[in-house]
Amino acid sequence: MKDPYEVLGVARTAPPDDIRKAYRRLAKKLHPDLNPGDKQAEARFKEVTTANDLLSDPEKRQKFDSGEIDAAGAERPRQQYYKDFASGGVGAGNPYENSSGFADFADGEDLFAELFRRQAGQARRTRGADLRYHLAISFLDAVNGATQRLTLPNGGSLDVTIPAGIQEGQTLRLRGKGAPPRGEGEPGDALVEIAIKPHRFFVRQDDDIHIELPITISEAVLGARVKAPTPSGAVMLTVPKGSNTGTLLRLKGKGVARRGGHGDELVKLKVMLPTEPNAELEAFLSTWAPVTSDDPRKDMVS
Amino acid sequence: MIFTMVDFLERAQVDRETLEIWIEEEWLVPCEIIPERAFTEADLARAQLIRDLMDDLGVNAEGVGVVLSLVDQVHGLRNVLAEVLTSARDIRVARSSS
Repeated sequence: MKDPYEVLGVARTAPPDDIRKAYRRLAKKLHPDLNPGDKQAEARFKEVTTANDLLSDPEKRQKFDSGEIDAAGAERPRQQYYKDFASGGVGAGNPYENSSGFADFADGEDLFAELFRRQAGQARRTRGADLRYHLAISFLDAVNGATQRLTLPNGGSLDVTIPAGIQEGQTLRLRGKGAPPRGEGEPGDALVEIAIKPHRFFVRQDDDIHIELPITISEAVLGARVKAPTPSGAVMLTVPKGSNTGTLLRLKGKGVARRGGHGDELVKLKVMLPTEPNAELEAFLSTWAPVTSDDPRKDMVS
Repeated sequence: MIFTMVDFLERAQVDRETLEIWIEEEWLVPCEIIPERAFTEADLARAQLIRDLMDDLGVNAEGVGVVLSLVDQVHGLRNVLAEVLTSARDIRVARSSS
């Protein structure tokens, strides 16, 4: 067994960083997958990794230096290298083999060109490439689900089924809708990244829908049944007597579809005064003298 | 031998997220056997090569793709060269025996 310091070409006093650098330099040169067919390089690579395993571990290195273990102690069996699978010969079925390095040789008429052609035909990566697309959909389509037609750069089109409850940035994989394979094999997939356009009054937070609903002052004071929009259509909502701006009402199950049900819609009420000055209201309020005075700013008094 | 995803992660000593990136980059192209991806021994050896490149040889993520592409081309060339040499030998044998 060779002396590991000699194998890596470092001094016995070399710091760990030098050992790492020396190993890296040699490994780059000798890695069997970067030197397929060079048996000598493979044997030397083994020596180098063994030496590195020993010297890069401070405990093992110290034991070696003090003579407790010898250089053979650190040998580790390595599984097969990639080259062992890649060099099966023409048509051995390695899906990664790539013929683009010699495609130009296959144009001739002679025996050799025929060989190159055969090789090229068989060695193609079998699957077509995945193609990426972006699709911007409306807020309601994202919540309710929809089918959208995506026009492709090549003029074709693709029907994309959008599942209800999809989120911004999610990617849909359409199997077999990507690039056709170069040889025989399956086409790639189309990967469609979804963007969601904002809505005029619905706002989504996880599986819940938030909305601000304006009500009149009399609806707030007396209570009422009002129409409230939800993503699946308007529903009647009971505004309790004495509601105020900021009162939060929950419409259960009117939110976004999720595993095992739906989120909720949260309706925040907003009391609106009449847009035009209202003489009757003014007259009423000027005669209105509440028994208990209620100061809405009492918390702000410092 | 065919490995399932779980098996493969264990043998190749990579985490799932890393493997997804490798597949996304097309460094690895597992076969699509429904319902799950399947990996071959060649995929495993290739994963080991990717780890060697990144962990031991200091190749960064951009470099790995370049190296793999060149390695794939080298194997394409080696295999076709082997076949050319075999054919050339056959022709010579046929000539000398006639």
